[in-house]
Amino acid sequence: MEFSELIRTGRAQAELLRGPEAPPLRGTLCVTSHHLLLSPGTEASPDLWLLLLRSVDSIEKRVAGDSGTITLRCKDLRVLQLDIEGVEATLDIARSIEALSSLESVITSFPFFYRPKGLRLGDAWHFHPPERYYQRVARETNAWRLSEVNEDFSLCPSYPRALIVPHSVDDQALARSAGFRQGGRFPVLSYHHARNGTALLRSSQPLTGPQKRRCAEDEELLRAVLVGARPGARGFIIDTRSAQAAKQARMTGGGTEAKAAYPGWKRLHRPLERGRPLQESFVRLVEACGDLEQSMDRWLSRLEGCRWLAHVKEALSTACLAAQGMEREGACILVHGAEGTDSTLLVTSLAQLILDPLSRTMDGFQELVEREWIQAGHPFQLRCAHSAFSHARPKHEAPTFLLFLDCVWQLGRQFPLSLEFGEGLLLALFEHAYASPFGSFLCNSEKERGLCEVRTRTHSLWSGLNQPKEQRKLRNPLYALNPLAIWPSVEPQSLRLWQGLFLRWTRPPEPSETAWEKVWQIVTDSEKTEGSA
Amino acid sequence: MGVNLSSMRRLRKRLPLSRQVPRLPPSRVSSMASASAPKCNSHTSENEPVKSTSQDGVNCDLNETVPRLPGETLITDKEVIYICPFNGPIKGRVYITNYRLYLRSLETDSTLIFDVPLGVISRIEKMGGATSRGENSYGLDITCKDMRNLRFALKQEGHSRRDMFEILTRYAFPLAHSLPLFAFLNEEKFNVDGWMVYNPVEEYRRQGLPNHQWRITFINKCYELCETYPALLVVPYRASDDDLRRVAAFRSRNRIPVLSWIHPENKMVIVRCSQPLVGMSGKRNKDDEKYLDVIRETNRQLSKLTIYDARPSVNAVANKATGGGYESDDAYHNAELFFLDIHNIHVMRESLKKVKDIVYPNVEESHWLSSLESTHWLEHIKLVLTGAIQVADKVSSGKSSVLVHCSDGWDRTAQLTSLAMLMLDSFYRSIEGFEILVQKEWISFGHKFASRIGHGDKNHADADRSPIFLQFVDCVWQMSKQFPTAFEFNERFLITILDHLYSCRFGTFLLNCESAREKQKVTERTVSLWSLINSNKEKFKNPFYTKEINRVLYPVASMRHLELWVNYYIRWNPRIKQQQPNAVEQRYMELLALRDDYIKRLEELQLANSSKVSSASTSPSSPSQMMPHVQTHF
Repeated sequence: MEFSELIRTGRAQAELLRGPEAPPLRGTLCVTSHHLLLSPGTEASPDLWLLLLRSVDSIEKRVAGDSGTITLRCKDLRVLQLDIEGVEATLDIARSIEALSSLESVITSFPFFYRPKGLRLGDAWHFHPPERYYQRVARETNAWRLSEVNEDFSLCPSYPRALIVPHSVDDQALARSAGFRQGGRFPVLSYHHARNGTALLRSSQPLTGPQKRRCAEDEELLRAVLVGARPGARGFIIDTRSAQAAKQARMTGGGTEAKAAYPGWKRLHRPLERGRPLQESFVRLVEACGDLEQSMDRWLSRLEGCRWLAHVKEALSTACLAAQGMEREGACILVHGAEGTDSTLLVTSLAQLILDPLSRTMDGFQELVEREWIQAGHPFQLRCAHSAFSHARPKHEAPTFLLFLDCVWQLGRQFPLSLEFGEGLLLALFEHAYASPFGSFLCNSEKERGLCEVRTRTHSLWSGLNQPKEQRKLRNPLYALNPLAIWPSVEPQSLRLWQGLFLRWTRPPEPSETAWEKVWQIVTDSEKTEGSA
Repeated sequence: MGVNLSSMRRLRKRLPLSRQVPRLPPSRVSSMASASAPKCNSHTSENEPVKSTSQDGVNCDLNETVPRLPGETLITDKEVIYICPFNGPIKGRVYITNYRLYLRSLETDSTLIFDVPLGVISRIEKMGGATSRGENSYGLDITCKDMRNLRFALKQEGHSRRDMFEILTRYAFPLAHSLPLFAFLNEEKFNVDGWMVYNPVEEYRRQGLPNHQWRITFINKCYELCETYPALLVVPYRASDDDLRRVAAFRSRNRIPVLSWIHPENKMVIVRCSQPLVGMSGKRNKDDEKYLDVIRETNRQLSKLTIYDARPSVNAVANKATGGGYESDDAYHNAELFFLDIHNIHVMRESLKKVKDIVYPNVEESHWLSSLESTHWLEHIKLVLTGAIQVADKVSSGKSSVLVHCSDGWDRTAQLTSLAMLMLDSFYRSIEGFEILVQKEWISFGHKFASRIGHGDKNHADADRSPIFLQFVDCVWQMSKQFPTAFEFNERFLITILDHLYSCRFGTFLLNCESAREKQKVTERTVSLWSLINSNKEKFKNPFYTKEINRVLYPVASMRHLELWVNYYIRWNPRIKQQQPNAVEQRYMELLALRDDYIKRLEELQLANSSKVSSASTSPSSPSQMMPHVQTHF
């Protein structure tokens, strides 16, 4: 396919309105294979304005007289308006944007063409290999080992090649257990709590079905986890579905662990919203935030009606429960829902942030996102195909990853010194998850990324983010290592709307930036003088 | 006062799971609690510094039984059960002085549970009777003005609560017992005299007054023109004292239009007053009409004078029935009137009551936001801020001078003028500037603190009580949230002011107006709150403050950008309490200190180096050469 076939028109004169704060831009508009460009062409403002077409979520065109207006709603929640001279030009540009922004093929996407200066292909793809973490755990304990059983993705297509499992369970048993779990996602280690040797595991639901099937190897695997932790250790299975939903899943071949089959393990149900309802909550919230006309007397109840903050609360509570079980009870925790690729990851990754000071560092957090989301097989391509503006009927879209970022933001708000990274990194991850010049969030699993040669043909997001010039935007200058667990308050009074994200484009520029600038100045001064002194 | 880290620590100890709502199944809870009990410190995760000084510097060393101010005397003490709404009953000993109510735990360790000035108490009720059954059902329930209640259970035998009830009533409501408020007994000494902070002549001089258009008049020297106004007033040069007297007759309680603030460049002014006495018959007063025109003409303004009536128009109309009203178009050709829709003191009082209902003792969980919405508290905040923004904008844009009034011009008017001045004039955003603003627009212009707060008065249901000043401070807090570098003071400063609004430890907020204060010789006989604050300024400073001249602040008064001041309204609830309220500020100070330390070391090194260098007579290296390239590690 040639991109040029999709580009109806080369250029047009246009004016770009970027919201209440930024001044309008006027110039020549141009559609290329991956971008929309506006070149002001004047000496006064020589900067080129650039928009990745992939980040367009919905497009709306209107023509009147001999000009037209295109409204672009972007996946990062920006709303842009283009006033274009010429009706034909407007329609052509709109069609071109529509066609190019909805291309589904991965290998023709921009990351495969993006060649920034100063970065080498292949760099940083090994920046945060989960193997490193797994090796460390295996080395430090005698209870865990790395397995290459999924080397060719035959056991589980959504798992990475490297996995960490109880030492005493051999690969054959793993294969049996995989057969007993939806999508082959047998229980694997997510986090090892070194302080007391307990483990956090994740998997998908067991395929008990209506006949209440059992699998000896799966049972043995979970038994081995407890034995490895400590003689007499107990475990909790946190099922992210309601008890009823879990029971119903049996009808379609799924189900949940029978009490008798897994001695020492106790099952808890903590239903978390997922899929369509979560996406709808996101859409409603963005709608409410963008609705500037509406009388504001009802804002709070409308915000409540969106239920987004309720989802934040549930996610954080469940993560606290998991973390508390490990830290306070000395119990092992297994988390799963149905597929084990969404709310499961939400819970395991948040629990780690609460417990593990390392995961709160810049490096550690990137490693966590890489290991617990990207490598763990969160289907980014499906979930983030559209953001909140798309008119297309949602199929697989769900803002689970955004919910995770929001929860992290809440943690950062409650513990302003404990995270080494700042809001900037969370915003960047949100943007890149939905549309990015980098390859990190492409595809749905390691297997797919392998097939598309993502690692060799695109740049890793981490190499982009970790350039020194990006650091100020991403780091928290107030960071001070906090070796303790950070227990968030999950009362509704303690949770806030993430204004920096949801009101980012509608509110005036944040005056607090000057405050941060001051802090940065102090920190940089200190570092400089420290270096010299 | 009040907030004590040690009491918070105590609470945490008692309820190790207090911050963690999610629970494992019931059977597990007890063992989880016991497992973590010795680890209470893990809650104070953000390196909480342990201090034994309470918020306002009163020494409350844990070994000392009762902290005592000079002039404070212990009246009684008694063993009670404190029924903590968060952690259940705690056995303790309560101490009552002529200033405070103070509780120490009698369990395991004798930590301080709370320390409440008696002035905070609004109501004392007996709960249960001598024959009440059930544990802890007989005792006292104390309602406080600062969003909490204190409940004690006592032994039923021998009317054991009678003493305590009587002593508390006597000292919490001294006015009803012909006793002086504690402020008149307080013998504290500070190295700064807060009464010197506000000098009206100096403040007007700072504003460039008097000038050719505006003069200072002493017509109210003995408060005979207007009893509730200050002695010193600024009025148009062209208005004679006789004019003023005639205008006074047409304004409610003689509160004539006088200058609050003048723009340094465009000379537009903010003028405050009370409503005109129009009445049902639509009376007019030529002198008042002329006076307003004189105000308009002080800066050769051609357009109409803007009048902001803070009330909803319905209320303004209704006020005609009681002799009041507003400036009509017919009578005031050169003025344009707008209503700002801010409700009266009764609405505000009921709104705050609803806020208390949803935050104390239990916070509303399932429908928090819609419950919050139904209190309308934030909506009122929004309207007050919106009104002040309009005033500030009119003046700063040079479009028109502004006249502000409500009914009597001592509640909503004070809110609007002082907030507008805070937006317009960066001077008021400094610590002393803010003190001057409060002293001027609130205290000297007769906001009826005594009636609104009910200092030492037992009539808790008095319809005159209303949280107008609290609402103003809330608006200031909202602004400081939106402009984190614009204010020299921090949140603690605002909370300290609010705490002493009730405490009766200082004379600052006592009585209703300047004339009453003068009669009682308040400045001679009491200590000023500003003495406490200004002698310990560092504690109240916002480290992010960047001094700016001439920047007008327009906060966003949209519901999206206003939030409930959780650190004030829900501060008693350990579940909501921030783990370390000033973490960011403290960390910033640490970083500053660290930098200063490095710079000092660097200078020392350079000095040592240069002496070496000079003795070795090689070329000295410049400091910049000594600095290796700074690579931020990540």
